[in-house]
Amino acid sequence: MTTIACGLLLIGAFLYVFWPEKNVEAQHQKTRLEFLRERREVLFDNLRDLNFEYRSGKYPEEDYASQRAMLENEAAETVAEIDLLESDAFAPQHG
Amino acid sequence: MPAFGSFALLVALALSGYNLLAGAVALRQLATGRRSWISPEKLAETARRAGIASFFATACAAFALVWAAFTNDFSVAYITEHSNRALPAAYKFAALWSGQEGSLLLWAFLLSAYGFVLRARHKVDVKLTAYASTILAGIQVFFLLLVNVAATPFSLVTGAVPPDGNGLNPLLQYPEMVIHPPMLYLGYVGFSVPFAFALGALMMRYPGEKWIHITRRWTMVTWLFLTVGIFLGMHWAYSVLGWGGYWGWDPVENASLMPWLTGTAFLHSVMMQEKRGMMKSWNVWLIFSTFMLAILGTLLTRSGLVSSVHAFAQSAIGTWFWVFLVIVLAVCLFTYILQRDHLKTEHKLESLVSRESSFLFNNLVLLAACFTVLWGTLFPVLSEYVQGNRVTVSAPFYNRVAVPIGVFLLFLTGIGPLLAWRSTSMRSIRKNFVLPATVGLVVAIAIIPLGVHPWTIFTTDGQGAFYAWITFAMAAAVLTAISAEFFRGARVIQGKSGQNLLMSMVELTRRNTRRYGGYIVHFGIVLIFIGISGQAFNQSHEQTMNYKQSFMLGPYRVECLDYSQDSNPNYDTEFALLNVYRGDHFVTKLAPELRVYAASQQPSTIVANHSTLVADLYVIYAGKDPATGQPVIKAFLNPLVAWIWIGLIVTIFGTGIALAPNLSAAIAAQRHRAAVPAEPVPAGRAGN
Repeated sequence: MTTIACGLLLIGAFLYVFWPEKNVEAQHQKTRLEFLRERREVLFDNLRDLNFEYRSGKYPEEDYASQRAMLENEAAETVAEIDLLESDAFAPQHG
Repeated sequence: MPAFGSFALLVALALSGYNLLAGAVALRQLATGRRSWISPEKLAETARRAGIASFFATACAAFALVWAAFTNDFSVAYITEHSNRALPAAYKFAALWSGQEGSLLLWAFLLSAYGFVLRARHKVDVKLTAYASTILAGIQVFFLLLVNVAATPFSLVTGAVPPDGNGLNPLLQYPEMVIHPPMLYLGYVGFSVPFAFALGALMMRYPGEKWIHITRRWTMVTWLFLTVGIFLGMHWAYSVLGWGGYWGWDPVENASLMPWLTGTAFLHSVMMQEKRGMMKSWNVWLIFSTFMLAILGTLLTRSGLVSSVHAFAQSAIGTWFWVFLVIVLAVCLFTYILQRDHLKTEHKLESLVSRESSFLFNNLVLLAACFTVLWGTLFPVLSEYVQGNRVTVSAPFYNRVAVPIGVFLLFLTGIGPLLAWRSTSMRSIRKNFVLPATVGLVVAIAIIPLGVHPWTIFTTDGQGAFYAWITFAMAAAVLTAISAEFFRGARVIQGKSGQNLLMSMVELTRRNTRRYGGYIVHFGIVLIFIGISGQAFNQSHEQTMNYKQSFMLGPYRVECLDYSQDSNPNYDTEFALLNVYRGDHFVTKLAPELRVYAASQQPSTIVANHSTLVADLYVIYAGKDPATGQPVIKAFLNPLVAWIWIGLIVTIFGTGIALAPNLSAAIAAQRHRAAVPAEPVPAGRAGN
């Protein structure tokens, strides 16, 4: 009984590990563009949080304005770089 | 069954070894672009599957050991040492982790279970998961080597098979002991996953902070398990050890606290990395340290280095752990030195009065607490090495350092959420701090007539009451600050939706579960602080009691109604029946016991406890007076202990909320599903 159980475990493991898989997931390296898109989402989240906290009365008007300006500048820089990379990626196909 | 268990462990080791080697080769080939007869993607896939298969093999081994316990297979030495025929079924299951070998098998099993989930969910990020899976396989190889070579749970007894076993340690025969160790292990082992992701992300120079997003839930679940494990251990110590307390700064308790402290610091500081791209090196080292402290804790418990009521017997297994720890440190250092330019911070700290600085101080305070605990735990070992004699560090050392640190941490818990990111102006401080500070001040004054006197700091042994006074005042301020956060946010929701305030608070929480779940966790932590502060006002009384004799403790009168003894196959017991009165009103009946277990002939105290929100009346049967044969009863009046357990429940609830997806994300996913038309099923696939 023990021998059969051991044999089943060994054969089952071997078959599972080495059974040929047709659709193997490709390992893909994240690009700068993908990173920037993630960063843009984080910045938009930060802006949404800031707006909500301001509306809830947590920050005075002056603090809110300066915080918002800083975040918007950062977001604008990120969006600009995204646009540049997207246009670069698009250009060769039409060039 | 023992032969099957042993074989399953060997198979698991081989599979994990293959996962490690094939995974590493595949990742190397992918990084360098070199190809061999098999594509690196296919090789990586076989490695991933080997990792998954190792889970099933380890599960078979764990099942074999539990089966041996349930079938009273005393041919297995481990079962002879940790079980017996009369042991109740639940404790037979607990035999899996009650000894060195079994608990290491549990480590290996839980690690492979975490690995199974990680590898099954590899599509989240195939490449990053491949790195994490390979690193995790390396840790698995270590633990499987241990249970295959150094601490084999399926060793057979030499000579004739004994008719019965030695039984389970009586201290472990308590319902919580069936849950506490697995929870603690789930916490210890679980930190391997964020560690593996962090190391993997550093090795592959993962761009951005998404690895934190991927591991956030892992880290929180792990932190929750460790928290629950620690508190169940405290509750067990309180209910079983019979010394009237729940935390004794025992080295094994300390071993579980250290990774909890650094893990808590990590949970906070990763927010700075996610939101502002700051403290990247710090975070990487925090999670590296947390994992290494979990391993160090396991080493301390198992090597016999420190003496503890929880520790396993002294064994040579410590050398294995030292070697592993050195290898882990070397790998972490090497990777960090090689890739440190990848961890450049994107922003600098702009102001000392900002959310970032509150996180930084929170981290420094938690690390200071961790260092204190580490120093106190290792001091006996270091003093023996340097001076030749072992100097033990006791509770007063820890309390002197940890209590002020705890109070400062409570302060940061309150102010952190009120500060703005980047910098906070004086206007903003005035706007947000006036209400909590006023409430704190009012409470500080109001509790003085109740006997909480801050001036006791000037007495030699009265500092506890001073710290309790600060804690109560600070707790009131923090609870007000948290409530104000909910109230302010709910009013915005209310203005838009027209719902009542309570429903608005619920929606607010559902819209940002991470933040408001976090606030609920803070709420729970504050309750725990209140409960711990009650210690400053503990009272106790010990007396030999005859029939109808009584004593007073605080507001209670404890009267001896009867005392007797009883027997069952598992243990003999002596007990007293006590009536408790408050004034003339009967409150409850208590029956403290002293058991002597048949198999081990070891005594164990069963505490009788009457718990209220104000105080616990905690009574133990301390033995018989040899002269009179009458029971010696020891009673403690421990104020506010119930708040600790309530605080834990609130903390679990808050963590559960923080783990849930946001309402907006859930709605977006629902909308997305509705927008995408159902895929037409080709005729040949229909019905498959």
